[in-house]
Amino acid sequence: MSCQDWQTRVEAYVDAELPPHEMDSFRAHAANCSECASTALALIEAKGALRRAGHRYVATSELRARILSESQAAAKSISQPESPPAKVLSWPRWVMAAAAVLLLAAGLFFFSARRQPPSSLAEFADLHVADLASSNPVEVVSTDRHTVKPWFQGRIPFTFDLPDLEGSPFTLTGGRVAYFHQEPGAQLIFTYQRHMISAFIFRDTPQLAISQSSFSDRSTSFNLQTWTQNGLRYVLVSDVNAATLQQLAALLQQRS
Amino acid sequence: MKPASASHEEFERLAMPLLDALFNFARWLTHDQTEAEDLVQETFAKALRGFDSFTLGTDFRAWMFRILRNTFLTSRTGLQAKMTVPLDAEDEAPVAVTWETPETLALASVSRQALQTALEELPIAYREVILLCDIEEMKYKDIAEMLSVPIGTVMSRLARGRKLLRQMLAGDQRVGMASKKQG
Repeated sequence: MSCQDWQTRVEAYVDAELPPHEMDSFRAHAANCSECASTALALIEAKGALRRAGHRYVATSELRARILSESQAAAKSISQPESPPAKVLSWPRWVMAAAAVLLLAAGLFFFSARRQPPSSLAEFADLHVADLASSNPVEVVSTDRHTVKPWFQGRIPFTFDLPDLEGSPFTLTGGRVAYFHQEPGAQLIFTYQRHMISAFIFRDTPQLAISQSSFSDRSTSFNLQTWTQNGLRYVLVSDVNAATLQQLAALLQQRS
Repeated sequence: MKPASASHEEFERLAMPLLDALFNFARWLTHDQTEAEDLVQETFAKALRGFDSFTLGTDFRAWMFRILRNTFLTSRTGLQAKMTVPLDAEDEAPVAVTWETPETLALASVSRQALQTALEELPIAYREVILLCDIEEMKYKDIAEMLSVPIGTVMSRLARGRKLLRQMLAGDQRVGMASKKQG
């Protein structure tokens, strides 16, 4: 592709919106073309300046309070028509006991039907591989946990803590939003020597009920570690050995 | 159906962290503090009422922004703004950046204040795509969906909007220099 063709695509490059192979070929082109390289750089700089200038207004605390009280008032008016719980207590004991047994049975049935032991872990391995193959493995490129963590604000429906990795053999390289069963979550990319490790963090839902805490996928030689803490499901995936993965898991667990 | 109190808690948990971003967007759209506050408040009320129709797992942020923008379009300022969309806005021809130098592209010598003034003066069809793409860092696909226009239109509005912004700022500097000479 000639410089002239790139001039109409360079903005899409800067917005990280070119198809992966074009992202690569632009990089290759820019390595040898100072004009296109400086155009891209200038546009990146302008985008940054705009972003800083654009974050200009914040909501006042009065507005925040107004919205919260309105939403609480709305919730009250919706929940009022429901029958009062006192009525349930006046039911005969045997009805309650029968209901409890039925509920328990239904729950067990539901739980066993929804549990997906190694297969959901394998899905995380797939997510990790797909990301390695992508030309933009990270959406927020930063080694600073104070940049990466706030970047997720508003993008995923929860927050999480990140450990200080100084003095450890791991480096944070960035993160992106990942989807698992249509739920948004965080994917953090760490490097260990030249290996990449994905740390997935999702809200712990029944779909994510995973019985074992570690897993080795023989067919792909990936190791996985998983645990829950503070209502969040953590899954680490990498081709590093299980002990190294355990070391990173310990660092992440320590944090909270 | 979700129980009312649970879905209401869920809504607050998802929506409250977006308040500042939504207000920032509303304030840029309306140019007015009170109007922006009313717009955001109405957005939250509508979103809460319609929360049952929101599919968990899809992009909640994009959903909230879409409600805000639609609410804005039916407001008085929004209706006025709609009439002033530039006629060539739908032109999807790609816009090249060739004639510009890296200095003007980078907005290197432009102050934050000048950038904000220029963004304020930018026609709304351009201002909103720049806000969504550069400030909210949304993907073309999400912006296209929100605006109900093809991706090509998002790209051409972005390119034209950014170019216009640079021209306004370059013009400003020339005017600035000219007036200095005269003084």
